[in-house]
Amino acid sequence: MRSPRPDAREKLEGRTVFGVDLEAPGMLWAALVPSPVAHGRLKSVDLSAARALEGVVAISAADLASLLPGSTGDPDRPVFPSNTVVYRNQPVAAVAAPTLELARAAARAVRVDVEALPTVSDVEEVFPEWPREVPEKSEHIAAHVLAREGDVDEAFRTAETVVRETYRTSSVHQVAIEPHACLADVTEGAWRVRTSTQTPFGTREDVATLLGLPVESVVVDGTWVGGGFGGKGSALLEPYALLLSKASGRPVKLSLRYREEFQLGRTTLPSVVRMETAVSNGRIVARRVRLLLDVGTSLPGRDFTAGYAIAFLLGPYRTPAFEMEGYAVRTNKPPFGAHRAPFAPQCAFVVESHLDHVAREAGLDPVVFRAAHLWKEGDTTPMGQPVGPFGLPTALERARATAARWRADAGPDTGVGVAVGFWSTGTGAGGEARVRLSPGGLEVVQGEREIGSGSVLAGVRAVAARASGLSPQRVTVSYEDTSSAPFDSGVFGSRTTAALGRAVDEAVRALFDDLGRRLGGSGPIRLLEGPGELSVERGAVRATVRELENDSERAGGGIVASGRHYGRSGTIDERKVAAGTFYAYTDFTGAAHAAQVQVDRSTGTVRVLRYSAFQDVGAVIDPATAAAQVEGGVVMGLGTALTEEAMWSEDGRLLNPGLLDYRIPTLGEVPPIAVTFVEGFHGAGPFGAKGLGEPPIIPVAAAVALAVRDATGAHVTELPLSAERVARALKVL
Amino acid sequence: MTRPLPLTVNGRPHSLEDVPDSERLLDTVRWRLGLKGTKEGCRSGDCGACTVLVDGASTLSCLTLTHEVEGSSLTTIEGMSEDPVGRDVQEAFGRAGALQCGYCTPGFVLALVGLLRERGRSASVDELLSDLGGNLCRCTGYLAIVRAVSLLQKEGP
Repeated sequence: MRSPRPDAREKLEGRTVFGVDLEAPGMLWAALVPSPVAHGRLKSVDLSAARALEGVVAISAADLASLLPGSTGDPDRPVFPSNTVVYRNQPVAAVAAPTLELARAAARAVRVDVEALPTVSDVEEVFPEWPREVPEKSEHIAAHVLAREGDVDEAFRTAETVVRETYRTSSVHQVAIEPHACLADVTEGAWRVRTSTQTPFGTREDVATLLGLPVESVVVDGTWVGGGFGGKGSALLEPYALLLSKASGRPVKLSLRYREEFQLGRTTLPSVVRMETAVSNGRIVARRVRLLLDVGTSLPGRDFTAGYAIAFLLGPYRTPAFEMEGYAVRTNKPPFGAHRAPFAPQCAFVVESHLDHVAREAGLDPVVFRAAHLWKEGDTTPMGQPVGPFGLPTALERARATAARWRADAGPDTGVGVAVGFWSTGTGAGGEARVRLSPGGLEVVQGEREIGSGSVLAGVRAVAARASGLSPQRVTVSYEDTSSAPFDSGVFGSRTTAALGRAVDEAVRALFDDLGRRLGGSGPIRLLEGPGELSVERGAVRATVRELENDSERAGGGIVASGRHYGRSGTIDERKVAAGTFYAYTDFTGAAHAAQVQVDRSTGTVRVLRYSAFQDVGAVIDPATAAAQVEGGVVMGLGTALTEEAMWSEDGRLLNPGLLDYRIPTLGEVPPIAVTFVEGFHGAGPFGAKGLGEPPIIPVAAAVALAVRDATGAHVTELPLSAERVARALKVL
Repeated sequence: MTRPLPLTVNGRPHSLEDVPDSERLLDTVRWRLGLKGTKEGCRSGDCGACTVLVDGASTLSCLTLTHEVEGSSLTTIEGMSEDPVGRDVQEAFGRAGALQCGYCTPGFVLALVGLLRERGRSASVDELLSDLGGNLCRCTGYLAIVRAVSLLQKEGP
């Protein structure tokens, strides 16, 4: 089959084994017992009726001591709560049975006696006086961050124009079509789990921490992943399945129903953002940002989101004086989790909408105003980070030109929006990859599973091909579980091609050094592909790979070399930090998007007519999968922009845990999308690549919102731009 | 115990024993027949991942009771390689790169094959696409799937 995707045939024939497809002889099926309230004191969990059913194994907090002798696990994150439940559907017990039907019946038979406590479902409930007043200390604050530069008060006092606005953003779910699923098998002290995960090694670490086990006793074997988008980046079901396997002595399968996927998934939660900007002489002189970010039941001191997200609210813009303060606010929802570029699309929506509004209020052209403040290479960010090669100014110029062409032939009730976003790539801990050269070709051995983006199978393969000079058909990428694979930190953070790819590039260099030592001679080394076996050439010297292998290599599959990628992190100017931890970014990348929409003024319905994305990528490694990432990211962003909103009731109940009520984009709603890569602004990845998985989603909601404003004048300050919200802004509702 | 339930699966006759009245065709296909290329997504008819063909017609197996299809001919993704239209659809999806994680892919292939059966091999690209709206994909943004359908119909028989 001809395809840009190495996995096309297997997937098109339905042969790919995902987490949900796992089974083992003698396996039991598991089900979780959910808390019936979002906040409550747990009085008792009575398993007796479940245990009375034939073949049923049931466990709760009371069983942890006997299942995990000598271990306390993570006291802050007990697998099962023993005193207090903090979000609705939080698992309070788990059961396993020979059939799924029986397991679910047994879960229903567990009697949970819980005394309901007051529920906090919304950040503004916690801080009613916000943004004027925020309590110094509150049990609901998981993190507080504050950074300052310059005399902000004076700048606001003397500015020509001051604009103050409040924005609200929605909770969005990853909606991977494959629900979470795993199969655990605990035997003789080996805690083994096969699971659909973006991070086999990260999940191993999580499981070891949560269960209080030595990390070497846990083996995580990743399956193919039916979509991740951040939602499969840490352990979720694995601890329950492992404990049930330990308790029953049998393999245990646990997979979520889609409703549970919505209810238990860790994802982006709502925010409220206060934006204040002061402008004089056509320039931003100061900005105040106040962020209340709902982090659900994320733990105090462990929450990373506020310090990570808040700097996105200054945008990629020069801002001489600023004060930004953020609170990660605890509510009775599941903990905050990653969702493709976590919270960055929401920040871009706020910043771009706000600056567009500021420019209009100051009588300036909104795009020219933003372009005038955009970072360029050699600048220093407001938090004191140097801006390296940065393709965003070029991307924005091109997006503006596209928008101008579209305006020329615009129809009635149409509008065009241009928006930018930035991201940091190449992050994460270090990683390692091995390459193995045999007479037949080059094999990359590594520990990541393909989650769909193509970054492992196509991206890593393309890096190895380019580094070795072999055609991609001669390169294979193989996977091993955490017991034997070289460590890598996971497929997340747009890091795979850039960071793991770097390790692969290094491994090929090490291989070539080794080949050079074996071959002798001088000058560059080349691998030669004939019709048959590979050979190696250096100047006038040439040998086949078979001739260069020693006996054990011939028996063991080839000449092995390994390479490492060392995790990179940037630095910030700590003098600006007044409270909390701010995260440093590396390898800035950017995207500029143009959207054209048509708005039905009587209903507020927004239709996206055409879309153009200009993406700073450093260097394109695998063109087909790279373009596919941008298309997919833009469409996912259209969901954030227009329809996606998980809604909670005041008592902490998720009101729309299904695909009929939580609407993601469908085929008929997708506009034509043109994808253009801006190359040459190199990052630290192989051949100058920067990460690509997340950036394409970032500017989408902003571009759509600005297009809606351009079309109708409606200034919508909440996500998503549902028909209802647009209609209200147009005062037809 | 209920009487055996006859069902032809990918061209082969089967006789299923003890199928409860409430068993969904999705569970029959995946766990009774072991044909796990058919995927479980929402289990409520919203995503299309579980699409199979029943007597050639595209059917959501999650909303179908197995007893409803007694005596029918069932085709799943595992049977597509022996189906000339199925092979064409697979080729077009492969060439267009119309898949990423691959989880929704069998459902798309079956839905499209069903549509081509229903509307004829020369159906227009637009009418095919308008009827594929019930299949959700979160990875591709659908554009590569649109290109696959265009490729298929441009180079059709």
